[in-house]
Amino acid sequence: MMEKKLRQEAKALLEQKRVDWIVGFESGSLKFTTTPLITRNVADTERLVINPFITNNLANFLTEIEGRVGIVAKGCESRSIVSLIQDNKVDREDLVILAVPCPGIIDLAKIERLVGKDRDELDDITRDGDKVSVKVDGKKKDFAVADVLFDHCLACELPTPTEYDILLGEPRQPTPDLKVSGQNIAGLKALTSAERWTKWQDEMSRCIRCYACRNVCPACFCERCFVEETEPQWVMPMPQWPDNLIFQVIRNIHVAGRCTDCGECERVCPVNIPLRSLTREMYDIVDELFKFKSGMDKDALPLMVHYEQEEAEEFFK
Amino acid sequence: MAKKISKKDIAQLLKTWSQQFTVLAPSRASGVAEMAEWDGKDTSFLDWYRNTTVPPKASFLPPMEEMFRFRKGEEGYQVEPPSSNGQRQLLFGIRPCDARAMAILDMTFEDAYKDPYYLEKRKNTVLVSLGCTNPCESCFCTSMGTGPTDASNVDIMLIDIGDGFLIEEVTDKGKELVTQTKGLKAAPKSDEAAAEKSRETSYNKVVRQLDTKGIKDKLLASFDDEEFWEQTAAKCISCGICTLLCPTCYCFDINDETDKGEGTRFRSWDSCGFSVYTKMPMENPRSEKWRRVRQKVCHKYEFYPMAFDVIACTGCGRCIRLCPVNWDITQVIESVPTKVKGAK
Amino acid sequence: MTVSDISKRPQFFAQDNVYMPHIAVIEKIIEETPGVRTFHFNFKDKKLAKEFRFESGQFGQYSVFGLGEATFCISSSPTRPDHLEFAVQKVGRVTNAMHRLGVGAEIGFRGPYGNSFPLNALKGQNLVFVGGGIGLAPLRSLIWNVIDNRDKYKKIDIVYGARTPADLCFRYDLEAWDKDKTINMVTTIDREAEGWTGKVGMVPKVLEEVAPSAKDAVAIVCGPPIMIRFTFPVLEKLGFKPAQMITTLEKRMKCGIGKCGRCNIGDVYVCRDGPVFSYEQIKDFVSSEY
Repeated sequence: MMEKKLRQEAKALLEQKRVDWIVGFESGSLKFTTTPLITRNVADTERLVINPFITNNLANFLTEIEGRVGIVAKGCESRSIVSLIQDNKVDREDLVILAVPCPGIIDLAKIERLVGKDRDELDDITRDGDKVSVKVDGKKKDFAVADVLFDHCLACELPTPTEYDILLGEPRQPTPDLKVSGQNIAGLKALTSAERWTKWQDEMSRCIRCYACRNVCPACFCERCFVEETEPQWVMPMPQWPDNLIFQVIRNIHVAGRCTDCGECERVCPVNIPLRSLTREMYDIVDELFKFKSGMDKDALPLMVHYEQEEAEEFFK
Repeated sequence: MAKKISKKDIAQLLKTWSQQFTVLAPSRASGVAEMAEWDGKDTSFLDWYRNTTVPPKASFLPPMEEMFRFRKGEEGYQVEPPSSNGQRQLLFGIRPCDARAMAILDMTFEDAYKDPYYLEKRKNTVLVSLGCTNPCESCFCTSMGTGPTDASNVDIMLIDIGDGFLIEEVTDKGKELVTQTKGLKAAPKSDEAAAEKSRETSYNKVVRQLDTKGIKDKLLASFDDEEFWEQTAAKCISCGICTLLCPTCYCFDINDETDKGEGTRFRSWDSCGFSVYTKMPMENPRSEKWRRVRQKVCHKYEFYPMAFDVIACTGCGRCIRLCPVNWDITQVIESVPTKVKGAK
Repeated sequence: MTVSDISKRPQFFAQDNVYMPHIAVIEKIIEETPGVRTFHFNFKDKKLAKEFRFESGQFGQYSVFGLGEATFCISSSPTRPDHLEFAVQKVGRVTNAMHRLGVGAEIGFRGPYGNSFPLNALKGQNLVFVGGGIGLAPLRSLIWNVIDNRDKYKKIDIVYGARTPADLCFRYDLEAWDKDKTINMVTTIDREAEGWTGKVGMVPKVLEEVAPSAKDAVAIVCGPPIMIRFTFPVLEKLGFKPAQMITTLEKRMKCGIGKCGRCNIGDVYVCRDGPVFSYEQIKDFVSSEY
């Protein structure tokens, strides 16, 4: 139903020339996959979809598309969009936000682990309320959503955009489960400092410096990233664990206050580094120190570029 | 008379081979599926359908590799080649798509100037392939000149016949190794028939097809079609996943690391997808994303065929599976317009 | 385009490894302009210094150990082999480090790499050299090569320019060529400058004014990409066919031997199959990238 409304609205937006581009999702070339649809063609709007696999954060494309954009936005996208508006990277007037109240996105990797099979061997995955059914070898297996949604979806504080132009469905209330979604971080915090250091050395040894984590992030919009700087050479462009670790640490610090915990960085990492453990921890630190949640209020000033006379934080006084 | 080995004897076989080779086998122990030094007991990879995430090219062109060391002494600078142990490797469980990719890479590293590091590793390695039984939906090897049980580019091929594998001895190196390996049984004719059936079944399971006929000329004719390339590149995010993890990609960067007059020159994986790849002080010919995407597609499907008569793609499917935005090379190749050159 | 055969090229590999540099010592430094220096150097290994051969147009990969390598053509002529020369404009990490080196400093050298100017195609022809800024570096190797075998070539026109008088490189060469009665030397700067009495105007425009004949002539063009882009149409207008126009392409390079992929354009590597190309060879791909 949301899908039908989305297609109608998108078509109208292009036909009436209220936008130059439509950015949304369409079916991917693999099962249980979607892919971004970026188009100026009215006919292409028929391919727009809304389903449990619309993973990407489409706000990532806004800094490179010129013109007015009609953009499909789940809660996480809308927070990234608001964050970009706060940073003046995108004009609110150039956007028509088509809000999708999001019930959470299914993490295929979790399903593969639970079912013990590759996604190629699964016949179907469907969501019904609080339940996700996986059909494999002719049999159906049910899972609770808490077991198969992405961690960042389980922690979601804004499933329905508050900044939008067209609402495509019934708004959903946030029901974050910080305990379940924060298990990885809790696990890390239970380790000693030395154990954690060894663990991160291990994780970072796999990094191949593909920069997918950086490139998929809407908050990373620098035209020249610090890793590309040669004078001085902050980080060696070689995949050895100290440089890989420094890259992640600095990237986290650079996006602090802009990261909305959309979880894309962790999803896209081809070598399974638990990047969200770093980004979510930074997100929580920002909330704790500055009582600030990114992307909630488009008229708020970006956190790291302003100073309040009355700083709330003790360490600053 | 062909030989065979049962699945439960694979561990023993690898143990035997470990006495004269460093045996590498698919493993998830590091956190990602890649070829790693066999741990002495794990053979769970025999049940895997997918190829490793990190391609076996990493064993010949590692993500990071020492080229030489330099030191400033009293007499000035000295350069020393890295010590090579000449240790022989055996790559067990390489898939035919990845083995063909090695043959494609060989063309570059052998051409004109010989690359010493890559070629030495290739010379010292035996490739033992596991034929695929369940190609994935991202696989399109049968369209790219190979197939799930193609033995053309390995020393030994193992074909799954149910409880075990039929052993195909392909090269002289492979024949020699099989001859001197104890514990391999003779395979009855029925096993050879089963292997033939297995090959056929696997071949037919490859669903994804790609017609590459005439693609070289189509791409040449579309080289200046900016609109087509902009559209094709629209959702690409210019990361390096498709290229770094592609078994036929080989771009590398060279950097020095130094500490107090002593240091090492390394080479490391690089990607034409990165925005700074072609950046020079005064200009960057490929600062625009569509030019980089065009370079990638054309290099694999047009330029490499122009130079070596082979498309630099083996249909392994990694790029399709791992791309953060599901950009699909097969869809792109299918959508290249057929034009008359010069016509707009 | 077909891949070229490197078997006829001079090859000097350190320790049989194509990536390892030879050690060389800087013997002289000339400040061409505030940002450009010419370095004269020789190999530490006396045997190599005596045997080393290269051809005009070829380049080397020069190392500042610990900082990296950079690509520069060999700007001296093979006809004057008592030392080798290269010119460096300081624009980044490695080149800045090079400008901090003094006489006696040690650098690494790998090469000679690349193809060379096709001397056989130039013999008996009128030659038109068109250069801009530091682009004169590969040209000067060829020009001195030609002058040292003067009777094999016909007329010589040289059109060379830079942004300002201070940016003119190889002034000692410009003066020598100006004095040479068999050479038509035209030096120009982009805009009027105090004290400058020579020609004014961008190189392509001045070339059009000089209007060398295309009959039995070959044009060799080297300079910033934008200069080359505007020079080709001028030459075409003067009647030069694509095969009569030769240039050196500049691309970011790392390995120098056609392996790392960086300088790939079409089915060739600029480092291995170039950097010298005729316009005929590159017009299919260059239009989009240059």
